[in-house]
Amino acid sequence: MARLVAKAVSKTYGATKALRRGDLEVEAGEVHVLIGSNGSGKSTLCKIVAGSVRPDGGQLLLEGRPMTVSGPEAARKLGIGIFYQELSLAAHRSVAENILLSDLPGGLFVNRGALNAKAQRYIDLFQGVTGDDFHADATVETLRPDQRQLVEIMKALSSEAPVLIFDEPTSALDRAQVDRFFEILRRLKDDGRSIVFISHRMDEIFALGDRVTVIRDGETVATKRIAETDPAEVIRLMVGGEETLVAAEPHQPTVVAATAKTVLAVSGLSGAGFRDVSFNVAAGEILGLGGLHGQGQSTVLRALFGAPSPTSGSVQLNGATLNPSSPRATIGRGLAYVSGDRRRDGVISGRPILENVTPIHAVKQRLALASPSALRAKAKPALEALRTKFATFNHPISSLSGGNQQKIVIARWLIDRPDVLLLDDPTKGIDLSAKTDLFQLIRKLAAEGMAIVLYSSEDAELLGNADRILVFNGGRITRELTGEQRTRFNLYQAAYEAGEAA
Amino acid sequence: MSTVEPTATKRFSFMDILKAPLLIAIALIIALLLLGEYLSPGFASGQQILRLLIVAALMGIVAAGQNLVILGGREGIDLSVGGVVSLAAIIAGNLMGGENSGIVLAILGCLAAGAIVGAINGIGVTLLRIPPLVMTLGMLGVLQGLLVVIRNGIPSGRAAPGLSQFVTQPVFLGLPGIIWLWIVIGLAMAFLLGRTMLGYRIYAIGSNEQAAFMAGMPVKTTRILLFVLSGMFAAIAGICLLGYTGSSFANVGEQYMLPSIIAVVFGGTALSGGKGGYTGTMAGATLLTVLQSILTTVNIDESGRQMVFGATLLLLMLFYGRGKALRA
Repeated sequence: MARLVAKAVSKTYGATKALRRGDLEVEAGEVHVLIGSNGSGKSTLCKIVAGSVRPDGGQLLLEGRPMTVSGPEAARKLGIGIFYQELSLAAHRSVAENILLSDLPGGLFVNRGALNAKAQRYIDLFQGVTGDDFHADATVETLRPDQRQLVEIMKALSSEAPVLIFDEPTSALDRAQVDRFFEILRRLKDDGRSIVFISHRMDEIFALGDRVTVIRDGETVATKRIAETDPAEVIRLMVGGEETLVAAEPHQPTVVAATAKTVLAVSGLSGAGFRDVSFNVAAGEILGLGGLHGQGQSTVLRALFGAPSPTSGSVQLNGATLNPSSPRATIGRGLAYVSGDRRRDGVISGRPILENVTPIHAVKQRLALASPSALRAKAKPALEALRTKFATFNHPISSLSGGNQQKIVIARWLIDRPDVLLLDDPTKGIDLSAKTDLFQLIRKLAAEGMAIVLYSSEDAELLGNADRILVFNGGRITRELTGEQRTRFNLYQAAYEAGEAA
Repeated sequence: MSTVEPTATKRFSFMDILKAPLLIAIALIIALLLLGEYLSPGFASGQQILRLLIVAALMGIVAAGQNLVILGGREGIDLSVGGVVSLAAIIAGNLMGGENSGIVLAILGCLAAGAIVGAINGIGVTLLRIPPLVMTLGMLGVLQGLLVVIRNGIPSGRAAPGLSQFVTQPVFLGLPGIIWLWIVIGLAMAFLLGRTMLGYRIYAIGSNEQAAFMAGMPVKTTRILLFVLSGMFAAIAGICLLGYTGSSFANVGEQYMLPSIIAVVFGGTALSGGKGGYTGTMAGATLLTVLQSILTTVNIDESGRQMVFGATLLLLMLFYGRGKALRA
């Protein structure tokens, strides 16, 4: 009898079906790997099991008995501990307090000695690999990212729960830390614990797992014994049936003439989250950046735009050196950047549409005065090019739908055309028709000679629009897909290849 | 598909009127004038209203700078304005020493002093990342200490007759110069905020600093400029205040700190930044002056007036804070 069973669990957020039919069976004494592409629903499934998300339907069984998990506290009482992907540490508190946060010993008063002694048991598990200055009294904010991740792991281990869920626990760890962590997990497994493990690294999955469950588009598609499968089969399961392996996406590769001039040349660019990135983009080309979330695609684009600047490397724009010191500097040189996080980086909330569509024009033309009628005349064609729907220029941008807000943010770059357009997951959270309008425009801009770099978290958008795709893994470009190589299978295989240990 | 459509028809309702701070302020001003006239006949006479407007102009000029700093967002506020008003009054009194010939030098000296104080505030807030509340409160303390030192060393100085005349006597169409100055400042503020890219930038930075930065706007320079302008407006008010009182006295400007903030909030500018304008602030300053005058009429002393002002600000925050929560 399986220890933990999820049967046809589903969850819908608004119009998005995050999980259609999640099935999972975890035995006692096994490491069960959960894998699926970006947004396939595996994290949602974990959160449902851990009680932080309520399912809309389906059934959960623990030791054969139906269980309802009313919240994280209840899950812990039932014996389910979870490591969360997004770090959830109290930065100003000590390592010991963080490890035992959910169950601080003692009553009204904290007994620091007992606290540290209890926490030390978990710290000792990682003895020798924690790095310098890592001890029970260290304040979390003074720790390096890998050390913080260790604290997060110790926090999950300290729950001593029979079922432990780890959602991408190794992203910041070095090789020695990962090896130690896996040793610990194997010991726990031998003690009869059940471990659910989410990872994107094929080498880890095959080194540690006993069984693997593949989720695709919110549905569990298969559970396999690791010993009876191989990475290629797992990727095929993630991608979908054999028939989709070859050029399933309707992509029309733009033929970029071999003589097309290079507009942007990036060489050896490094910064926070990416290392030694080099590529060229030609006039009229749409260059796609692919791979899993957060492998450096977005930070590279932001660095090129100067927000913040890269730490080393060189950038050439139209043959001249570009120093990306700030957005203001790069805008002046002909770069444009559209963020997918429009609320944070794009929309000037509460201000009229006119003020939202004209700032780049003002910067480029060094305008001092604002003549609303002249600005309206400039803005109108840019908004029409994207089929933006709005009532008047005086309406606040917040009165529009998300898709139309993003169109306005993009339109601000179209009044004075840039040479290079950097798109950082530009369609995140916008409706289908706005996406269609956007990609029509992007292809038109490319046809007119603009150089475009597109990062998208939706693989279909990349396969359908990019002439070339650079796959990022662990902050580096690990593969370039051109022409017929641009298939979903190749994209996944490159994305899930063993990431180089940091 | 049509993209740009004509103006949507606007429906006016009673609720819209209630939401317009400017209209509320004007209605309250009229109501308070009528109340004052009832309590003390002659309160709303032409001469008396003119006197009230002179006092309101002093407050309104300080509030112009306060308004800009608050619009710039990131909890922008300038608590040092009262100190700058006092400092400017002393500098002006000494530089002109009761002579008309010294007026130009006095104005230049005061504007420079205001700009320097503002620049230090701005640099502290942007480059050193000190919260505006702490930075400008600290600056106020420094200025207060400086005023004591100055006062121990030199006489307080007197206003030039030309300055007093400008502030208190009619110069054009029966209105004193300071009221014309206030009108000009009002028009300049409207132009700045509505017809210049600097104005657009102030609103953008106040409403979403990160988006403004990503759109290539010079966020830090602009914010420093706002504090500089605030210092300069306070300095102008200090000069005018000297003309109004004839000679400067201890902490003459202190009374402007709280009212300058209340006037801005009353005028419909959000303390969170990015929303509002100066027209409402002018009405707010007038309203507060009338209120102050009524409190004086009914024999409530300075401490009582301060309590009423403080309570007014808290009530306003409650009112606007709640409105915001409802809209979100």
